[in-house]
Amino acid sequence: MSNNMKYLTGPFSANNPVIVQILGICSALAVTVQLKPAIVMALSVTVVTAFSNLVMSLLRNGVPARIRIIVQLVVIAALVILVDQVLKAYVYEISKQLSVYVGLIITNCIVMGRVEAFALGNKPWASFLDGIGNGLGYGMILVIVAFFRELLGSGSLLGFRIIPESWYMTEGGFYSNCGLMLFPPMALIIVGCIIWVHRSRNKDLQEK
Amino acid sequence: MATKKFKCNVCGYIHEGDAAPATCPVCAAPASEFTELKEAEEAPKKKGLLSDTNSNAYIVLYSTVMVVIVAVLLSVAALALKPRQDANDLNEKKRNILASLSAENESYDTFVDAYVVDKAGQRIDGDVFALLNDLPTAFAEGKFPIFEAKDGRVVIPVTGMGLWGPVWGYVALEKDMNTVAGIIMAHKGETPGLGAEIATPKYQSKFVGKTIFEGDEFVSVTLRKGGAKDPAHEVDAISGGTKTSDGVTAMLYNSLRNYLPLLESKRAAATAPEAAVPAEVSNEENAESHE
Repeated sequence: MSNNMKYLTGPFSANNPVIVQILGICSALAVTVQLKPAIVMALSVTVVTAFSNLVMSLLRNGVPARIRIIVQLVVIAALVILVDQVLKAYVYEISKQLSVYVGLIITNCIVMGRVEAFALGNKPWASFLDGIGNGLGYGMILVIVAFFRELLGSGSLLGFRIIPESWYMTEGGFYSNCGLMLFPPMALIIVGCIIWVHRSRNKDLQEK
Repeated sequence: MATKKFKCNVCGYIHEGDAAPATCPVCAAPASEFTELKEAEEAPKKKGLLSDTNSNAYIVLYSTVMVVIVAVLLSVAALALKPRQDANDLNEKKRNILASLSAENESYDTFVDAYVVDKAGQRIDGDVFALLNDLPTAFAEGKFPIFEAKDGRVVIPVTGMGLWGPVWGYVALEKDMNTVAGIIMAHKGETPGLGAEIATPKYQSKFVGKTIFEGDEFVSVTLRKGGAKDPAHEVDAISGGTKTSDGVTAMLYNSLRNYLPLLESKRAAATAPEAAVPAEVSNEENAESHE
């Protein structure tokens, strides 16, 4: 059981897919301008990694080795389409904001990476936990990045104004939003800062 | 057995040696992530993968069954969720129409009267929202949906092409059928930060108060690169979004033109007794806005 817990919590820090394995960076740049889409994206990716891991782990003994990548792709793509359809039906506004990025979960390296590296060689329950762990580990970074980008770039969090209107220069104040935060490169720099902090606290991750 | 095998739990790399490596050469995971592989554990797995599951017949059968199962699953899901998605879509359209009139607090069903007109501006039968789903075809067939608010203003749906894909929107006109009361625009895939600016309320507010007629001549609203020169009929184009701006200019011109007979009869009624002469649209004007 403690081993299972390790599958679940390992990806939070020591094996974090974004800041340790450097996977899934592309979507981390794209959907982190605001907190809300980042959270929905994190949950969607968690659902997809968890269930693709589960399904592939159940199938692992029957999958022909020669077409296993194709099988993985079909399973992942089907799950992503399901998630996309459900989002469109129940949270239309957010699905419009995420637009193509939901479809692009298919190309998120974390999903296929975990299926190929973990689910094909482990039992279903362990794989399911590993998928949830990795999805949440990815989501954590997304939320941290989105927190800074929305706060500094738009002066709000989850759409609620944090920095008072009266501070803004247009209203006669002294403050102005950092427009650079709205552009993808800043997400990369924030991810870099997170990696810096993370490694300085975890000496065993530092390359010699 | 001279060497042992160690498997990296993170990436699956297998190291051969007497002890696990300090860090994984593939994913740099620490030694604690390695577990020793027992020979006995490895042998049956290899056998399982390479025995009958790799024959061509098995692969063909496997992929066929998989594809059928996935197809059935996805079609069931798509069909089950379709009514909800369509309802969302319809709500979105109604909200956009009210938003273009700055009447978000009104109820669509009581505030707006939707109908379809033909090329001559006469009312014809037609399902407005079905036509909206494929506006370019509806325009080509000579069916023009229009929304008339209780206070006399009208909303005209517009459609065109941006740089990367379709752009569309709703133009609300004041009672004089000339002044733009509001505009809502959306796009499928214009460049974020450049062409995609057309979908922002800030940019759309620039259109308010512009007029689409110069005297009696239809001139539409133009997005002028380098800044608007004519305050009545032009707005600033988006810098870095020239193609999108041109697309929007063409969209407004070509779509609004379809409604000219209706707009002019309504204008005539509004400014009566002065009978307005239907304006001719010169080809020159036409060519310019397509540039």
